[in-house]
Amino acid sequence: MAAISLEGLFKSYGATQVVRGLSLDVREGELVSLLGPSGCGKTTTLRMLAGLEHPDAGVIRIGGETVAGPGVRVPPEKRGLGMVFQSYAVWPHRTVEQNVAYPLTLRRLPKAEVATRVREALRWVRLEGLASRRPHELSGGQLQRVALARALVAGPRVLLLDEPLSNLDAALREELRAEIAALRARLGTTMVFVTHDQGEALALSDRIAVLNRGVIEQVDTPEVLYHEPATPFVAGFVGGANVLEGEVRDGAFLTPGGTRFPLPPECRASDGPSTLVVRPEDLDLGEHGTPLPLSARLFLGHAAEYRFPVDGTLLRVVGPPREARASQILHVQLRKARLFHRG
Amino acid sequence: MSAPATPLRWVGLAAWLAPLVVFAVGPVVFLLARGLGAAGALEGLAAETGALVNTLAISTGAAALALVLGAPLALLLFRTDLPLRGAYAVLFTLPSAIPAFIWGMGWLSLASPRAGYLNRLLGEGTLDIHGPVGIAFVEGVSGLPLVLLAGGAAMRRVDPALEEAARVCGASPARALLTTTLPLALPSLSSGAVMVFLMAASSFGVPYLLGVSASPPTRVLTTRIYELVLRADEGLGRASALALGLLLLTPVALLATWALGRSGRVRLSAGKGLASRPFALGRGRAVAGAAVALGCAVLVLLPLGALVLTSLQRGFGARLAWGELTLAHWSGVLWAPRTLRATGLSLLLATGAGALVCALGLGAALLQRAFRRLGAGVEALAVWPYAVPGTVLALALLVAFSRDWRFILLERVAFVLALAHTPWLLLVAYAGKYLALGTRNGAEALAQLDPSLAEAARVSGAGPTRAFRDATLPLLRPALLAAFVLTFLACATEITMSVLLVPAGSEVLGKLLFDLQSYADPAAAAVLACAFVALVAVGQGVLALLGRRAAEAR
Ligand SMILES: Nc1ncnc2c1ncn2[C@@H]1O[C@H](COP(=O)(O)OP(=O)(O)OP(=O)(O)O)[C@@H](O)[C@H]1O
Ligand SMILES: [Mg+2]
Repeated sequence: MAAISLEGLFKSYGATQVVRGLSLDVREGELVSLLGPSGCGKTTTLRMLAGLEHPDAGVIRIGGETVAGPGVRVPPEKRGLGMVFQSYAVWPHRTVEQNVAYPLTLRRLPKAEVATRVREALRWVRLEGLASRRPHELSGGQLQRVALARALVAGPRVLLLDEPLSNLDAALREELRAEIAALRARLGTTMVFVTHDQGEALALSDRIAVLNRGVIEQVDTPEVLYHEPATPFVAGFVGGANVLEGEVRDGAFLTPGGTRFPLPPECRASDGPSTLVVRPEDLDLGEHGTPLPLSARLFLGHAAEYRFPVDGTLLRVVGPPREARASQILHVQLRKARLFHRG
Repeated sequence: MSAPATPLRWVGLAAWLAPLVVFAVGPVVFLLARGLGAAGALEGLAAETGALVNTLAISTGAAALALVLGAPLALLLFRTDLPLRGAYAVLFTLPSAIPAFIWGMGWLSLASPRAGYLNRLLGEGTLDIHGPVGIAFVEGVSGLPLVLLAGGAAMRRVDPALEEAARVCGASPARALLTTTLPLALPSLSSGAVMVFLMAASSFGVPYLLGVSASPPTRVLTTRIYELVLRADEGLGRASALALGLLLLTPVALLATWALGRSGRVRLSAGKGLASRPFALGRGRAVAGAAVALGCAVLVLLPLGALVLTSLQRGFGARLAWGELTLAHWSGVLWAPRTLRATGLSLLLATGAGALVCALGLGAALLQRAFRRLGAGVEALAVWPYAVPGTVLALALLVAFSRDWRFILLERVAFVLALAHTPWLLLVAYAGKYLALGTRNGAEALAQLDPSLAEAARVSGAGPTRAFRDATLPLLRPALLAAFVLTFLACATEITMSVLLVPAGSEVLGKLLFDLQSYADPAAAAVLACAFVALVAVGQGVLALLGRRAAEAR
């Protein structure tokens, strides 16, 4: 177990800057998720932590020891980490047992101890019966468990997980998510978890770092992140909020196209250019509010989603299912919203 | 493309099968029956144990050499930052592209005991390329590309995350390379080595060149068959028995590849995976670069250089000096009427064989598509003669068509198939042997074609034949052209079957080269060999161009 600190990391591939001044501290025993859209640099950050890439600038410390920085470059095999790859990376020419034993044999442990620890690791991931199987005889979920056991067996200082669940179907994903949570409770290992699935991040993490184009937009607990997003991007990505550009005038929000939303009382803001962020469930349909033509209605089961065209984008509203025709005029009212001043 | 109507497919199958059965399957089966049935076949085989043992030993040695050289070379060329690795990857395809016989000639110039250039440097008799070790060496090196290509393809398919996972688990870069990528590529490398074994076992030219005239002579199955055939009738029965032994090696070796493929049938790549990052050799880069440069110089450039030198010398063994060099052999050989006649016939035969291979190969590819289940049988039948040693195929044709065959159709029309002692037998042999090239290329290209292209033509109003001609055939043309060039090159430089099948009074290039080298004039042979190399170089250039054009069109 060890704390991690990333300070001002930069990384480019050719002309494209992939990570641009990223800083993050992970406390001992903490599980921090790196959350962001595809291509935002999550994997690159994790690979720099593992030592598979070297940052162009910046410092990485693990357990107080500098492993990457000016003049310092500790290779991956000397960092004492465990890593679960998105493609599993379970070696097809070794049995399950041999896969899991590999990190231990590299550390030249006595045979008996290797056997005991492999058995224990396989028990953690509930694969006891499959020790002598070959990888091509395993399902995707089982392969992922082998990868997990292999990453944990040597007692790594930090466990790195790169979208470990994204190749699995929904039910298995749920199951493995619970298992990772249980393992963490038992082993207390520091973990960095890369994902682009906000549900996964919200459910598993102590804290979430939201990445956007190579920089961290916000690091906070899931609750704070959800209820008090620091930027429109975070609000849009984590809560699936509507994000509208415009300006505040006389206690109302005006889009450039002229649509006017009166602001709720607790959302007073000074006049000026702003970004309005409002979750679909924080909008009400009723008799009062802004009249808008309905463009589509999607039945969700417990609720329905209503879509209204506003300035070329779609405003999404989630509310109780009700009868509505396309192009019917409905009234939309803000119940709760956040405003971000621009400029 | 929709399957042709039922009766049409069966007519097509019959039309395709008939020549294959008459000219390839039939003769070989006939030969086998004769070999089994010949009085004292077993005793005959027993009397030739020496040749059998030599064949096995030499082929095993060649395969081992190719594997031992090929595995590290494949790692260096395809997984490290070795300087000039792209150039080496091209240079190291030459040993297979140029006929093994020519490499044997090169090494003979370099390391024949008295006059070889290396022995003149190192002292007379230091090296001797004659004998089993020399044969295995030349065969192993000329098979090196097979191991290299198989290994390279496997290494490109290995998911780089597998190696990275080993690094994170605590393995050093070298250890990660040797414990993950190498074992994963090993089945492919080994199946390449099995191919080298087969190639060496069926090779005729090199063991003849370096074995028969040596003292004591080294005889292998192929050269024994040749000697027995020259003795004509009483030898043919015994030769058939030997051919049986040689032919049995093929299924055994293929079984071995199949078993290797099974154990190695692992999912090599999963997820998106980034391109493999070449392993940084660091301080070892210069050393490895020097080692590979030296290997390339010795194994590839030196024998070719020796051939050029021999072709320019007044006589092999003459004093080495600028003043002694002459172009006399070049003008003497290239414009000799004998050479021109051989070139004419060779080009004619190679063109004919290329056309036949394309037509029959295209037929095989279409039949594979038309008969889903039976298609595998069609492919096996088409590819199979390629695995039959040239010596055996030639012997089978010789035996089967040593007399004329009369066919009577509908009790009226009779025709006589009289192929013995005509160049037609050569055409049959060439086309049969290299049919695999057309079939493979055609089938691969057809598999890549979207059937909707032809369907669109059908919907636009074209009949099945018209749709095939307008929409499918143009897209298959590059693949068929490549098959034609490959076949043309192989036939124009073919030696093994030519030596046995050329009728008296005719001449083809392979036979001419063989005769010049064996009986007359090493300098003249060297000239012809240089011309062969030039022809191969031009052909490979055309192939590369075709490949680039096809890649651009996709
Ligand atoms: N080896 C490389 N060479 C060149 N570009 C790269 C390389 N690795 C990553 N990139 C680029 O860097 C950017 C960030 O990649 P990264 O893999 O870190 O994204 P990610 O956040 O993990 O995305 P995803 O969710 O799709 O996995 C991408 O635009 C990618 O194309
Ligand atoms: Mg990623």
